[in-house]
Amino acid sequence: MATELDYDRSLHGIEHEAGPFEVTESQIQAFSRGIAETNPIYTDAAAAKSQGFQNIVAPPTFCTIMVHRVELPDINLKFGGKPTGGGMHAGQRVQSRAPIMAGDKLTASSHLKDVYPKTGRTGTMVFIVWETTFRNQDGMVVADVQESFIRRG
Amino acid sequence: MYLDMHSHSVSSDDSRATVEQYLKWIQVLRKRGHVIDGIVLTEHRKFDYDKDYSALASQYDVVVLKGSELDTRYGHVLVYGVTEPLTNDIDFSNVAMDTRELLKAARQHGAYAVPAHPGRFGIGLTEYIQQGEIFDDVRIVERLNGGSRKGENERAWELCDDKGYLGVGGSDAHLTSHICVCLTKFEASIKTEHELVDALLSEQFKPVWLEDATNNSTSEGIIK
Repeated sequence: MATELDYDRSLHGIEHEAGPFEVTESQIQAFSRGIAETNPIYTDAAAAKSQGFQNIVAPPTFCTIMVHRVELPDINLKFGGKPTGGGMHAGQRVQSRAPIMAGDKLTASSHLKDVYPKTGRTGTMVFIVWETTFRNQDGMVVADVQESFIRRG
Repeated sequence: MYLDMHSHSVSSDDSRATVEQYLKWIQVLRKRGHVIDGIVLTEHRKFDYDKDYSALASQYDVVVLKGSELDTRYGHVLVYGVTEPLTNDIDFSNVAMDTRELLKAARQHGAYAVPAHPGRFGIGLTEYIQQGEIFDDVRIVERLNGGSRKGENERAWELCDDKGYLGVGGSDAHLTSHICVCLTKFEASIKTEHELVDALLSEQFKPVWLEDATNNSTSEGIIK
């Protein structure tokens, strides 16, 4: 018996671009306050510069707030021949690859990484996984963010 | 020997523990007096042919075996001794596969399939047996599961008593400190996946809680 999972598979391999987004000192400070980060390199430009950085540094998970600026398409998921119901966020994984600092201009590129079903106590769920790569103004990859969403079968 | 028969590393989509973190934690448990010989990595819906943990296993003196946990139409199933013919025959990602076909295919191809957490509400084998499904090829189930909620291991215990099933134990760990909370005590010495299948076929094993994994223990998986 097949899994009967149907979605727009043509989306695989397509990159969805967004940006550039300028990273500001106030954004970094607000994010740091939000996650209770107290290391001065994340809160104070002078402290960051005294430790060799060019400007105030963004905490490693900073890109989790930038990732939603990429407009992602509906994958038109159907499970068992029927459209799925409402979904929910199922988590993020962040791979920090280089420091992000105030003044950087980031671009984002997202692609559909995986769509798969799994079963649990509450029935069948389908996981939709998007992966977004962030680059700075020099073209350097600064972070990869993998984000999952659950839909009910 | 004592083996944790059910664990998930970062290779599974829902685990945050690396294999090395598990092996380090086992050193802590050993210092506390527990006897732990090995673990079986049962990653979700796949088998990791490309992963080689032999160096880590040697470094930490822990047997590290590979298996799978598959989603099926009638609950999750642990598969030990996975072979290439089995993965050619069965689509490990198919969550709608018939458990009975998996059980048969596993034996046909030199592996052994064991229904996981059969007492789990909503998804355990108990639910489907109560609905009238028949599973003639089941001989062993996971009687102790470290991820069970209150009442679920008790249902697995009752199922074993009712059907005469044998039971194994596994932590179902997804986090480092959860590894080995349940184990299986084997009479045989096991170093390979093939020897694990032989040990299951010998039926000389019993499920135990971590606190009973000692050199002096005689107790058997009492529900706590």
